[in-house]
Amino acid sequence: MLTRIADVLARIDRRIIYLLISISVIIPTLVIFPLPVQVSPETQKLYDRVEAIPDSSMILLTFDYYPSTLAETEPMSVAVLKQCWRKNLKVVTLSTVGLGGPSIADRVMSTLADKFGKVYGIDYVNLGYKANYQAVLLGLGKSIRSIYPTDYYDTPLDSLPMMKNVDTYDAFDFIFIVSDNGIVDNWVGLVNAQFGSEMGAGVTAVMAPKFYAYVRSNQLVGLLGGMKGAAEYEYLVGEKGAATAGMGAQSLVHLTIIIFILIGNFAYFAGRKKK
Amino acid sequence: MHSFFGKQLPVAVAFFSGVLMIITFFSGDQTVADFSQEQLVWVTIVGGFSLLLGVASITRVSLSDVRKRRKGWPYKAVLLIFLVASSLGAIIEGTERGTLYDWLFQNMNAPMMSTMFSLLAFYIASAAYRAFRARTVEATILLITATIVMLGRVPLGELIYGKLPEITDWIMNYPNLSVQRGIIIGAALGAASMSLRIILGIERTYLGRQ
Amino acid sequence: MNHDIVLFLEMTLAGFLTLCIFSFLYKDNPFYRLAEHIFAGLSAGYYVGLIWHSVIMQQLWVPITQNGQYSLILPGLLGVLMFTRLVDRLSFLSRVSIAFVVGNTAGISIIQQLHGFVLPQLGDTMSRFGQEFWGPLIILIGVVSTLIYFYFSKEHKGALGITAKVGTVFIMVSFGAHFGYTVMGRVSLLIGRVQFLFVDWVHSFNKIIN
Repeated sequence: MLTRIADVLARIDRRIIYLLISISVIIPTLVIFPLPVQVSPETQKLYDRVEAIPDSSMILLTFDYYPSTLAETEPMSVAVLKQCWRKNLKVVTLSTVGLGGPSIADRVMSTLADKFGKVYGIDYVNLGYKANYQAVLLGLGKSIRSIYPTDYYDTPLDSLPMMKNVDTYDAFDFIFIVSDNGIVDNWVGLVNAQFGSEMGAGVTAVMAPKFYAYVRSNQLVGLLGGMKGAAEYEYLVGEKGAATAGMGAQSLVHLTIIIFILIGNFAYFAGRKKK
Repeated sequence: MHSFFGKQLPVAVAFFSGVLMIITFFSGDQTVADFSQEQLVWVTIVGGFSLLLGVASITRVSLSDVRKRRKGWPYKAVLLIFLVASSLGAIIEGTERGTLYDWLFQNMNAPMMSTMFSLLAFYIASAAYRAFRARTVEATILLITATIVMLGRVPLGELIYGKLPEITDWIMNYPNLSVQRGIIIGAALGAASMSLRIILGIERTYLGRQ
Repeated sequence: MNHDIVLFLEMTLAGFLTLCIFSFLYKDNPFYRLAEHIFAGLSAGYYVGLIWHSVIMQQLWVPITQNGQYSLILPGLLGVLMFTRLVDRLSFLSRVSIAFVVGNTAGISIIQQLHGFVLPQLGDTMSRFGQEFWGPLIILIGVVSTLIYFYFSKEHKGALGITAKVGTVFIMVSFGAHFGYTVMGRVSLLIGRVQFLFVDWVHSFNKIIN
């Protein structure tokens, strides 16, 4: 009897798995139920550091991500921007990612700017993209203008009131990186190491485990990991967004996958006993 | 002539452009810094062109498929139409919000790319069920840690057992961190020695066939 | 046209393309392949538009023609030489451009790896014992045993073998955590698409019928 059950459980069709995963995502998305959000120390540190920036100072916020990971990264950018603009920080943004980065920055910044009544060139600037990120990051340390003669919209930097006296990393009180790839390594290994700029990062869950090493060595002030990290930041900023809404589904799918792992192991060991 | 442009000159160029970056780091001299800044600007420009190389290649292959009516050519024609629409849109109209280029990206490209990567959720679930077995002690450790982290990083885990987030924080900050650090140090040493080989001209595979 | 209707139509287009990609979960089909080729075409076109504005116009054309920075003609030429890679007979000419970028990157990398990663990471591993004991000890053991596990120049026997074995345990814990995080990331991407289909798209439809 047991072995027959094991046999059946060992051969579940992949489409059944796909269906159950879909259901586990769809139901909590439609029926949102409140779940507690426990803030991790790395998120708290990052939030506190940004809170500590004097009002009206300048921050560099990067959009170093592809559209493939928008679900994890965009809520981070949105939450940080809300925090920044609530403190009236001036935000300069750029992207080292070719496919989509500057367009995503353009959309997110201008949509939120309308809500907060922020004016381009006075409250925020989008520098856009330049190729070969290592050269870009190093070059910005000496002269932003030589790498970016104009912003994303072809406006010379000197024509933007906010950028008048800005030409190196020294102008920024903090660098907030939002990324889905290894560019964080270059921000840390080049910009933090050579120019001493303080920085923190919001990254996708896949990237997060590596960057704990940089947090401990104080090369990064703090770290947001994946949609959960974004939900924690939304909680701290006090504005629930897409990441918080996703936590129910995240919980249920994890549980479903764990159940499948247990089923797979049960089937394997029960089947082995028979042999 | 061929050997000079194809071999000696590239190796010399790699040597000088690499050494300049190293000298700049150690030297406080303004002339060196200015010269190296100029080089960095140049590299961002040349690097930009290299991204177009892939586009040129895909265009050439697709055009040839369409012209010779190879299998699946209508798809290649669709590819070319959208390539041209997006490129010409940008060149004529610009790239900011409200342009065709941005519209194509936000409403077509971004949703498709997001969806392609979301397919991985299904595959990883299926793979976990099929391959994640507690066959050995090592595999069991891997499986238990993965389960703790999967539960410890979602709100539901906290409801199941209040200490799970703390345990997960500990795993991430000690055993995980130490391994990641070991890998960072090892990989960095490897990358540094590879860079040195490139600068000294010992490693030349990046030049392609000799 | 009414703004809400435009938004709904845009969402419907994005929704249709999303479903085309999801259809691959059942099996490969013409809808998927159509979406795949539109995606490839748009991505290639995106790069053309981006490089046209960010590099060719902003970094070359305007500085050369309006500011008289004629020295930039040289990186422009190096960039154009990249395309000789597409012509077999002339491809050797692209090597100088490639060597320039690769050499520069190697020079930056050597400093970055040693000064940016190896020293700070090693330093932090050694310097924390004054503040606490167990945490830094666990990390030190983890870092050393991981490095030894990946050290293949000598057979893992005796003390080296035991250390490598300890390394295996640490590595399994870290990889387990990494797997947990990878699942988390992939699932998040799926949640993003489901939120789009079942919340945003439906919401845009509700808006036009109300």
